[in-house]
Amino acid sequence: MKVATKEIRLQGIPISRGIAIGKPLFFHTLEEYFEDNHDLKNNIPDFAIEKEGVAHEINRYRQAIACARDDIKRLQKKLEGEQILEGAAILDAQLQMMLDPLLTQEVEQEISSKKRNAESVFQEVIKIYQNKFNSIFDPFFRERFKDIQDISRRVMRYLLKSVRVSAADSPSGSIVFSQELTTSDIVESNKESIEAFVSHLGGATSHAAIVAKAKGIPYVTSIDLRAIEPYKGSQVIVDGRTGEIIINPTPETLKTYKSLRAQLRLQLNNLKKMEGLPAKTYDGYLMKLSANIESCHEVDVLHRYQGSGVGLFRSEQAFLSNSVFPLEEEQFQLYRNIVQKMNGLPIVIRTFDVGGDKLLGSHLIAEESNPYLGCRAIRFSLKEREIFKAQLSAILRASAFGDVSIMFPMVSGLPELLEAKEIIKEVRANLKERGIAFADHIPIGCMIEVPSAAIISDLLAKECDFLSIGTNDLTQYTLAVDRGNHFLSNLYAPTHPSVIRLIKLIVHEANQHGIPVAICGEIASDPRFTPLLLGLGVRELSVAARHLPVVKNAIRNTSIVDASRLALKVLSLSTASEVQELLEQEYRRNVPDDVFYNV
Amino acid sequence: MKLVSKVKVKNRMGLHTRPATTIVKLLQGSKCDVTITHKKETINAKSILSILMLAAGQNSRITIMVDGEEDIATDTMDKLLSVFENKFGE
Repeated sequence: MKVATKEIRLQGIPISRGIAIGKPLFFHTLEEYFEDNHDLKNNIPDFAIEKEGVAHEINRYRQAIACARDDIKRLQKKLEGEQILEGAAILDAQLQMMLDPLLTQEVEQEISSKKRNAESVFQEVIKIYQNKFNSIFDPFFRERFKDIQDISRRVMRYLLKSVRVSAADSPSGSIVFSQELTTSDIVESNKESIEAFVSHLGGATSHAAIVAKAKGIPYVTSIDLRAIEPYKGSQVIVDGRTGEIIINPTPETLKTYKSLRAQLRLQLNNLKKMEGLPAKTYDGYLMKLSANIESCHEVDVLHRYQGSGVGLFRSEQAFLSNSVFPLEEEQFQLYRNIVQKMNGLPIVIRTFDVGGDKLLGSHLIAEESNPYLGCRAIRFSLKEREIFKAQLSAILRASAFGDVSIMFPMVSGLPELLEAKEIIKEVRANLKERGIAFADHIPIGCMIEVPSAAIISDLLAKECDFLSIGTNDLTQYTLAVDRGNHFLSNLYAPTHPSVIRLIKLIVHEANQHGIPVAICGEIASDPRFTPLLLGLGVRELSVAARHLPVVKNAIRNTSIVDASRLALKVLSLSTASEVQELLEQEYRRNVPDDVFYNV
Repeated sequence: MKLVSKVKVKNRMGLHTRPATTIVKLLQGSKCDVTITHKKETINAKSILSILMLAAGQNSRITIMVDGEEDIATDTMDKLLSVFENKFGE
């Protein structure tokens, strides 16, 4: 392994902001080595071990070999029983291979000399033999590698099983490098030990990215892992603001980043001072600043930062791991708990947004070639009437305990809204019959996240009590760009003039019809967008609870007059990057001491 | 003592998986050091992977070397030569 001493800088795409300094931890997938392998999708971890850990790793390796051998012996018995002696003889060879000093003593020696985990050493050794076999001229002998490949998979499977080394138990100060990260990789990860994520594939608004942001872990993508491979042991800096990866930083670079990191921590501390202050522009306009929540305990954060209420409760999230849809009673318990916890503050409950990449009760959702354009959200609810009614019934019942509104996701035309409202009427009548209490007036709102809905927002505004703009999907559908597709990540831009114009149109129509309009997409929580949104006439932002202080800070550094001027200027620009640049420039001027957003 | 013999691989497929398994099993637990040399490459005969990587096909000439106590070494060499002679039962 060559150890470079030179500082190396690689440019990726920033996904989750922040700064991390740490040691790389690699997760490989077996497919990277065995291209025809489909059954093993596990990531293969690769990390340094302490001297004291060597014996443990060797022991783990021996056990994996022993288990694999037991497997083969069992198979062999079976084949012998079936009189398939040829096959039994081949398995005999595999048994011998697992006793081969090259795969026993040598691997063990490598583990203790390289001080790396068994999986990575084993994999490297196998790779060496793969290359040797590949260089054999005679194809007949070259083919013999198949058996080695076969046993190495088996051994690897046992190794991974013995300790499922996952992001959850990585050594502290790790920067995780992986070809691709799944949502569960990130969910499992421990914020205390993982400093940052770096991957080759993955888009800015993939769910893995959203979870990384939610956990406050920096994440950079579009980094070719092969470029980093040779420098496994060295120090790495990840700048989640610019997307830059710095390997082997010079002492000066390190010093710069350490001080930046300290500044960031200080800044986060300072934001706590926002707790007691109102979300008011400096020329005196009070904004509604609400929270997007998924679970009951986020309500505490909302109260701590004096949020105005919950602008979006994603009702499906609590049930995503269920294999069937929850019954009315189970839902009612959850909704009532949350509503009670609100202490009288308003809460908007969005009905199930399933389908697309969220697959609650996937047995009901037929396989679709294009799920994002398929039967999801309100379309699903209108099709699965009983599920929809059970949910509405549970929400209505919870409305007796506080200030509850209902919102429908992904409405694309007026009939959907009207039909949903009809069903609410039915459910109300039914509850009345059953003698169950619910609030007299329950505001009903439309999520505007499909271009068609944005364009007819006047028609929708006439038929409901409020609108809420979901800018993530609105951007994706307007630009026809899959927000998880990493080849297109430069095209997915909520600053695209088309998206800004749609927002302007929706806000205008809502104002015309005298109903409130909120923004609940990710741009609402990005303080660089705050002045623009205020300038476009938005008076309510709904953001992930932890973003309340930073957005509040942005509001307090903005005046409505300046915001309106900025909005006019933005509307005169013609490209997404021009808009982006202007917003960044403006933010740097308004909130100069923010090292998180200003680069 | 060291014993050295040269043999020709007679079986049709050469030292492929089955012959290699036979050799390795024969040497299992043996106290002798045994090497096979083919085209200037010398490998540990107790390693099946090494034998396979020699890619010794039919009619290749190899050198076997056994190093150990006299009786055992002689016995080991005899057994090895006989499996080669029997074309590994093929």
